[in-house]
Amino acid sequence: MNSATPPAIQVRSVTKSFLGQRALDDVDFEVARGEVHGLVGKNGAGKSTFMKILSGAQPPDSGQIIVGGTAFKALNPAEGRAAGIAIVYQNPELHLDLSVAANIFLGAEPRKGFGILDDKAMAARATELLARLGLDLPVNQRLGDLDIADRQQVAIAKAVREKAHVLLLDEPTAALNKAQAEFLFRLIRDLARQGMAIVYVSHHLDEVLAISDRITILRNGRKVAVVEGKSADKDGLISMIVGRTLDAVETHRSERLRADPFLILEGVSSQGGLDNVSLQVGKGEIVGVTGLIGGGANALAAVIGGLDHRDVAGRMMLGGQSYAPRAVREAIARGVLFIPEDMRGRGLVMSLSIAKNISLAALKSLSKMGWLKLSKETGVATEMSERLDLNPRAPSREVRFLSGGNQRKALLGRAIFADGKLFVLEEPTQGVDVESQRQIHDHLRRLADRGATVVFVSTDLEELIALADRILVLRAGRIEQELSPEGLDPQQLLVAIQTQSARSVN
Amino acid sequence: MTSSAATAAKPVVRKSGALRGQDLGRYTLLIVLLLIVVVTAIGNPRFLSVNNLMNILFQVSALGIVASGQTILLIAGGLDLAVGAALSVAGLATALTIMHTGSVTLGILAGVVSGTVIGAINGMLVATNRATPFIITLGTMTFLQGVAIIMSGGSPINGTGKLFDVFGLGDFLGVPWPVYAMFASVLVMFLVLRFTTLGRYAFAIGGNEEAARLSGIPVRRIKIALYALSGVFVGVAGVILTGILDSGLPSMGTGYELRAIAAVVIGGTPLIGGRGTVIGTLGGVLLLGLVSNSMNLLGVGANFQSAVLGLIITAAVLLQKKA
Ligand SMILES: Nc1ncnc2c1ncn2[C@@H]1O[C@H](COP(=O)(O)OP(=O)(O)OP(=O)(O)O)[C@@H](O)[C@H]1O
Ligand SMILES: [Mg+2]
Repeated sequence: MNSATPPAIQVRSVTKSFLGQRALDDVDFEVARGEVHGLVGKNGAGKSTFMKILSGAQPPDSGQIIVGGTAFKALNPAEGRAAGIAIVYQNPELHLDLSVAANIFLGAEPRKGFGILDDKAMAARATELLARLGLDLPVNQRLGDLDIADRQQVAIAKAVREKAHVLLLDEPTAALNKAQAEFLFRLIRDLARQGMAIVYVSHHLDEVLAISDRITILRNGRKVAVVEGKSADKDGLISMIVGRTLDAVETHRSERLRADPFLILEGVSSQGGLDNVSLQVGKGEIVGVTGLIGGGANALAAVIGGLDHRDVAGRMMLGGQSYAPRAVREAIARGVLFIPEDMRGRGLVMSLSIAKNISLAALKSLSKMGWLKLSKETGVATEMSERLDLNPRAPSREVRFLSGGNQRKALLGRAIFADGKLFVLEEPTQGVDVESQRQIHDHLRRLADRGATVVFVSTDLEELIALADRILVLRAGRIEQELSPEGLDPQQLLVAIQTQSARSVN
Repeated sequence: MTSSAATAAKPVVRKSGALRGQDLGRYTLLIVLLLIVVVTAIGNPRFLSVNNLMNILFQVSALGIVASGQTILLIAGGLDLAVGAALSVAGLATALTIMHTGSVTLGILAGVVSGTVIGAINGMLVATNRATPFIITLGTMTFLQGVAIIMSGGSPINGTGKLFDVFGLGDFLGVPWPVYAMFASVLVMFLVLRFTTLGRYAFAIGGNEEAARLSGIPVRRIKIALYALSGVFVGVAGVILTGILDSGLPSMGTGYELRAIAAVVIGGTPLIGGRGTVIGTLGGVLLLGLVSNSMNLLGVGANFQSAVLGLIITAAVLLQKKA
């Protein structure tokens, strides 16, 4: 970053309210060419709103956006694009049925004349562009067949093709594993070196510190500080984000004995990819499951949660009785609560309120002969919001209006309210801020102390070490390693996960 | 420090009026409704007479009942195109039963049961097939139209005795019985949607079917129940319309499916489901009633009326896309 160059984009005194509440309050901001600028803050601090305003997806109530020598009161998406601003969401807005090349060249397809598309030229140019970016993607593949990390790369390639010089990334690594994230960082650094200005939102502060030239901290919609990436440290960052210092993480791992197995799997194989898995999980135990994509962690969750029940071989026992759910609702009836990673697609009902989402899996306990007890439901939702620090504390607010992290909390609240005996959670704190993550971990530990069993799937190494009593590393549908998180550092865990990738190349 | 160049540039100002596109979309139909009332009242003072307004309510009563049932289907992300034909079948079942047994009670029972059973069958087909509700119920609609013609033998089944006395002629405190039936239907659907688990499940399935399934909701069973429930409303409407007409006709339900769905959509329930209200549907029904009544009073021909109806439906759907 060089203060002599004019900023690639600058924002003055931007303010934005929703329903009378300030989401952004008088925020000034700027990014220089070639700078990676981190943007951090708690859930609901206003990061995504700010990014949308920068990209033109939403207009601010007041303030100015200055780009390319022009001051705008507000941008619309077309103006944003024309000004060279590109935004890549966590789950990029691309066309899943089109090929990689077609997505990259959408709206600017090479033509042969008479308006006929020149697929060959398009594929060639896409290949060339991707090679220049150091990306190895199959240009003719349907985008829907690629994973999230690859889709992000396609979205970034598209931005480069559109000659964007400001790239906005809103929690790009939330759904990525470590290796995918590292790859993305390399790409980000390359682009910055070529002069691209990059704004990077994340709750993973180590990443932010490692990659950012400067970091802006938002709290309750206000800019608290801008710090140099080099001179900042994690604890200082946390206290600015939260507004006070957080106590050191106490890694209380109660001596939970596995003497009393609650869940037993014997030689379980499934179509989803499990291969002869045997496992015992004790009552009150918290087991973290991880591995590379397709390694079987999610397949394990699907079998235990009752999602994957066709052609499941082997035997399962739950609480001393045979367990063979043929539907999710049979699993729920046995006290097994599954929460999917794909919050928007498979988790939340966006058109319903916070309260109605929290109560959804346990309406039986909130009704009598099919009649709902609405005031009790509101009370329950309020209480759950407090426990999980879900903001705003407005049970009747539709979840689509919540910030990403708060949506995750509402989804988790559903499982917790349903009062299960066994929680099967995929990425329980994805997109959740540091402080709330600790609260959620504490809460899950307390549930475990009271006898609930937790099996969670995570790609977040710190989370695995902080929360699990035991970590299972899966590969090719088998339990490859079992690790104790005691004294384990993230690097070791990463090695454990990745050494297998070397072997699994055939 | 580096802003001088930018400040010098002329700010691009954009209007940010209070009424943005989406707000406008939500209220357009209300505004249209008011315009129609005003224009017609000026053109024909008789329009606003209590007599005429009651007449409108009477005319839309069967539609209001069918649309109330259809509301929960759209909220659940479903749709039943067969309700018009099912209405004919239910009406004929009522008329034929009264003709053969002389019992009005049995006639009512026959109408309501046939409506319910047809609804349940549609629900089963929808719940167990991959094809969209649109295609499936388009099929059953065609089938049921055939059934109605066979049942009637091609001519009206006349004479429903007491049923006609009550629904065709009878009133209470000056309000015809079918109008009470319509408001009762709206009330029942309101209660179901707001206060029962079934209603809640409908919202959840329409909003995100997979999330509903992962929350342990028996999605198939609920869908069947919802179509059957809508079928009860269709059956009731069939009985009442038979009473009003004092006969069962194979064509008595023709067009009801479109008008019912239109009323629901005009009332603010999106075709993709997940939200909606039956009070809105009632508003949609009344709007349709007002429009056709005012066109009648202004002497607009039947073909032109159907074109206007089409315009209203299209406008409702387009405006909704924006909102
Ligand atoms: N369309 C909307 N309607 C009402 N409130 C909204 C809307 N969009 C955002 N908000 C509110 O604005 C605030 C800021 O939300 P935003 O999504 O910007 O947070 P964020 O910093 O990105 O949080 P997260 O880390 O959870 O993603 C939140 O309180 C949110 O509830
Ligand atoms: Mg966000």
